[in-house]
Amino acid sequence: MNYQKLDAALVTALNDVQNSEKPSLGVFIHTEPTLDSAATAVLESFGVSGATSGQDIFTATLSPDAISQLSEQPWVRYLKRSQQLHLVNRRINTGKLGV
Amino acid sequence: MRHDKLSPGLLLAFQDYQNEGEQALVTHKRSLGIIAHKSTVKPTKSIVFIYCDSDADLSYLSQYNIEVNQNSGSVRTAFLPINALDVLSEEDTIQRIKPSRKLQLRMDVAAGKVKLPEFQNQTGLTGKGVIVGIIDSGIDPKHPAFAGRILHIWDQTLPGPGVTEGHYGAEFAGAQLTISQDTDGHGTHVAGIAAGADATYNGVAPEAELVVVRSDLQDAHIADAVRYIFRVARELGRPAVVNLSLGGHADAHDGSDSLSKVIDAETGPGRIVCCAAGNEGSMNIHGQATIPSGRTRGMRFNVPLNQVGIVWLNGWYSKDSELEISLRSPNGFVTPFQKIITDGNPTQEHQLPDARVEIVTPGPDQANGDHNFFVQIRGNGPSQVMGGIWQLRLRNTSATDTRVDVWTLDDRSSVFFTGKSVEDAVKIGSPGTASSAVTVAAYTTRAKYTDIDNQIREMGLDLDTISEFSSEGPLRNDAQKPDVAAPGAMIVSTLSADANSPRSSMINSKFIAMAGTSMATPFVTGLVALLLQRDPQLDPATLKDLLRKNSAIPGKPVGTFDHKWGYGVINAVNL
Repeated sequence: MNYQKLDAALVTALNDVQNSEKPSLGVFIHTEPTLDSAATAVLESFGVSGATSGQDIFTATLSPDAISQLSEQPWVRYLKRSQQLHLVNRRINTGKLGV
Repeated sequence: MRHDKLSPGLLLAFQDYQNEGEQALVTHKRSLGIIAHKSTVKPTKSIVFIYCDSDADLSYLSQYNIEVNQNSGSVRTAFLPINALDVLSEEDTIQRIKPSRKLQLRMDVAAGKVKLPEFQNQTGLTGKGVIVGIIDSGIDPKHPAFAGRILHIWDQTLPGPGVTEGHYGAEFAGAQLTISQDTDGHGTHVAGIAAGADATYNGVAPEAELVVVRSDLQDAHIADAVRYIFRVARELGRPAVVNLSLGGHADAHDGSDSLSKVIDAETGPGRIVCCAAGNEGSMNIHGQATIPSGRTRGMRFNVPLNQVGIVWLNGWYSKDSELEISLRSPNGFVTPFQKIITDGNPTQEHQLPDARVEIVTPGPDQANGDHNFFVQIRGNGPSQVMGGIWQLRLRNTSATDTRVDVWTLDDRSSVFFTGKSVEDAVKIGSPGTASSAVTVAAYTTRAKYTDIDNQIREMGLDLDTISEFSSEGPLRNDAQKPDVAAPGAMIVSTLSADANSPRSSMINSKFIAMAGTSMATPFVTGLVALLLQRDPQLDPATLKDLLRKNSAIPGKPVGTFDHKWGYGVINAVNL
């Protein structure tokens, strides 16, 4: 594992995963702008969508083993953990509403 | 006085005013165009329609403080002291005087406050031919406000083969749209603000067509959804605007996070994204401190008792500095100071008598070059995180003073900084940080409403100003966010029949009141849909410049930026 290519949130999540072979971590994969066929084949083998689309940011759900393998690839710049966002309506506390 | 010229409602109000004075008009204010000043020095005024001879010269009425807004025409509007109705009714060329109530009842408050009806009437724009993309909790496809205008739903939460951008979830169209449900109701409400069609609670772009993603809210999947909507729009040959009424604080707060990067890469001519600023304006989720060279500083935060299962601290500081990190529990136990670790796993676990702590201190972040540290706190065994005042301790081992920004994250949104480290700024997280996105703050246009049970519900919000809950910018790198403010409280819009909505928020069986920058954002999304109808090649930079020039903070010149208001509340009339 090349930890230099992982963000702190992904490292934290990896520490808690028990099964190293099960795809359980949503990630962003940031790559070099141009990928050769060998690189796209690696991405496709991990189920990454749009590997041949010319993008340099990909999304995938990966196992710790897959993250380790990708982090060692020279054309992978870095990996970041996918974060859980939330909807931003203000929850109305009806108890505070005047009637 | 020619009583026969006044409409019945206006005549009744006038007679009550003559008999009982200004106080009698209180009950008429809602239904008539009556504006009563708080000061008794200024007279109560009324807005009326005048039906008159088309060539009548009414300019002389100004001596009675009657302001007739048009010089010609058989139907004109006027603004006048209510006691001037007497004079107005005596004018021979006037046949009828009506209050402006019908117009007021037909439009919702929010639209009128930002001159949207004027803009729509002037331009005839409806959003026709434009795709409005909603990435949210889904949509109620059976709601009549969207009838025949939902083209696709990608439900990321259902099993299926997915779409080109992600091989998960299920895509629906046509009769199958109803398979996907919005059990939260948020997405349906948001979609209605942007593009609902209804006689009373019309959306901003009521003829736009919708492509909706019901998302699991993982930001990687939201990135997939942005790409999906723009791909569908491209295949249809349509411009598109995507609404993101969502956010988080696990990022660097400078636009370098992955979702912001994807948004910046995907937007362009005819492809716009609008994002919510967030609702943490009243929450101390952000702490900031300057650590002098060679010194140690503490940042205190409060964990509520027996409520929180896990706490994270997300800290960022300059690439030119080095900090060592330690944590002190409410009982006074401390972890050792942890340096930056550039060789191997940068995590160290610390077992305290009252907590399990992991601190991650990697080398510079590959995306922006700055240093990031992550602290994770859990209780021992099945226990919750120890309640009380914790302290994050930071030791600056570099040669220069260092500013550090830290955000609290937890599973209950209830862990906040306290004391001197509280900094009421830099609270706009991803994706509102994307530089190409229009990031929207909330402005309060309605502070109360009448619910389905005819009860008046009032929020503790100040009317006609920026909403207190709206998150402040700027970004951590001082980039200006939010961009503009739009109506975000209280907004009445479409109700999902599949959501378990509280009756206290429901207006009727089809509409519900909500508040948040979530609601302000689709208002701008709808506006952008109108602008894309006019110019399908409109690009983010041109759009944002246009919005800035047509926004203002009350009492300040156009072009003034404020961390809470952005460039101010939008005024649509001259867009």
